[in-house]
Amino acid sequence: MSEPHPRLQGVTTHYGRGWALTDQPTGWASGPGSGSAFLSVSPRVSSGSRQALCLWLPTFELRLELVRSPELDSTSIALLAPGESTRRTIWQVSERAHKAGVRPEQLVSQAVSLCPSLTLLEPDPAHYDAAVESMLELLAEITPILEPAGRGRVFLGMDGLSRLFGSPERQAKRALCSLFRIFPAPLVAATRAGMAPGKFGAWVTAASARSGEPVIVGESDLARFLARCPVSSLPVDPLIVQRLERLGVHTLGELRRFPEPSLISQFGDEGQSALAWATGRRIDPVRPWHRPEPIRVSLDFPNPVGITDTLHRALDRLIERALSRPTRRGRSVTGARLGAQLEGGGSWFVATVLREPTAQRERIASPLRMKMAISPPPKAVDILIVELTQFGAPSAQTGLFDRRDANGRAASGRALARGEVPPSLRDAVKELKLRLGHSPLYHVVEVDPWSRIPERRHALLSFDP
Amino acid sequence: MSDVPRLRPLGQPRVVTVRTDKNGELTHVRLPGKPARTVESVHERWRIDDEWWQQPISREYRVVILDDGRNVTLYHDLFEGNWYAQRD
Repeated sequence: MSEPHPRLQGVTTHYGRGWALTDQPTGWASGPGSGSAFLSVSPRVSSGSRQALCLWLPTFELRLELVRSPELDSTSIALLAPGESTRRTIWQVSERAHKAGVRPEQLVSQAVSLCPSLTLLEPDPAHYDAAVESMLELLAEITPILEPAGRGRVFLGMDGLSRLFGSPERQAKRALCSLFRIFPAPLVAATRAGMAPGKFGAWVTAASARSGEPVIVGESDLARFLARCPVSSLPVDPLIVQRLERLGVHTLGELRRFPEPSLISQFGDEGQSALAWATGRRIDPVRPWHRPEPIRVSLDFPNPVGITDTLHRALDRLIERALSRPTRRGRSVTGARLGAQLEGGGSWFVATVLREPTAQRERIASPLRMKMAISPPPKAVDILIVELTQFGAPSAQTGLFDRRDANGRAASGRALARGEVPPSLRDAVKELKLRLGHSPLYHVVEVDPWSRIPERRHALLSFDP
Repeated sequence: MSDVPRLRPLGQPRVVTVRTDKNGELTHVRLPGKPARTVESVHERWRIDDEWWQQPISREYRVVILDDGRNVTLYHDLFEGNWYAQRD
């Protein structure tokens, strides 16, 4: 049995250079094992860049706080998890705090009892997002194919850049060095870089790299490199990883010894996927990231506001203002963020993805209010901000002839039978009859299809299913 | 009960204004609500004479191509003398 990759082994619990983290509260990957960025990829390389460079800055947010307050560098510090009000937990911890026993996801009370000198920091998502924005802008000068995966991790598509920047090593170093333009040296020095075919390969490579020393894995070496990686690096259901580990399968090399039919019989399609990742057969290209320019509106309160009703009213006004922006016209909204600059510093954000595209104030405000109730601003609000972040088609109108069942699920595999009335159309007629007293819809019927007089061939018959 | 008729005609011809040359050939057509257009060419023509046993129908059809590239089917009602645009 081959030994697991020495650096990757520790990566799920401790991230070298004195930083430990979990990124679970924000939903992005905390180690190769979580791999959420890879789960939705298509197995075929149809577009995007095959050669991927992963730049990864572990505990990105905590490091940014240290850049802002360097005097904290010699103390035990922990960043509080965003989005919680009552039972607040720890999000990221410094090396000193880690040595004292403080761990991510611990309750604050527990963390403080373990490390009484612990300095707790409120997260400032607006500050972190601004740093990510500037990083992406900078990296776009190197390659137009950029795909961020969380705040501290970004994939760069490097296909065709050898003539411009030289060997893969030079390309990776070029990308790393460019970060010096926006980040201070300690932050850049902590960045890990890995280049390999596909995002998965690049990610495990970056996770196994030392800070500031890029690791390059070529096409021919990928399978051999992956063989040493732990099964926890697989972007598959964590339960499958657990089962594999219980079965004594710890590395991808060990997994590869199983015949594909056995894995499929044990784990279904995920088993097949796991084998494809483990052998390097599956390459997930870096796809260009498209993000429309968000529409941002804000309201500056003369005095800090903590009253929920006032914030709700301000939210309504802000959504109205955002919707009336000329740049929004002709587009419906599918995603929005509500944020605030807090009294005494710090920021707060909640985001929502709307179930249906809409341009109605209430439909956007309602989920944001709910999010605000679950996770209210921890302090009084100085500036309230609304951002419309994702946009959809001009209207949410669905096709009358969509084949969807009563629960709204799309039917597939068969065409509409003759005379069959889709539920969406039946509902539409019912609603129109209630409003107008009659069905204004007609369907075309043949009257005398062989008539030499064209207007006699067909007629409209009132449609009332 | 609603007064809305259950059956409605479809593709009824619409009266159009035309200009013809001395040979009776179409030179300009103005469709309802649209500016007048020059007839570039006549693509096809045929005649219908029917229903002589009741209300006789006699129409002379032309498919014309207008200067904006559109194909329009027109007919000349030989009893009334009016020109109509016919929807296919």
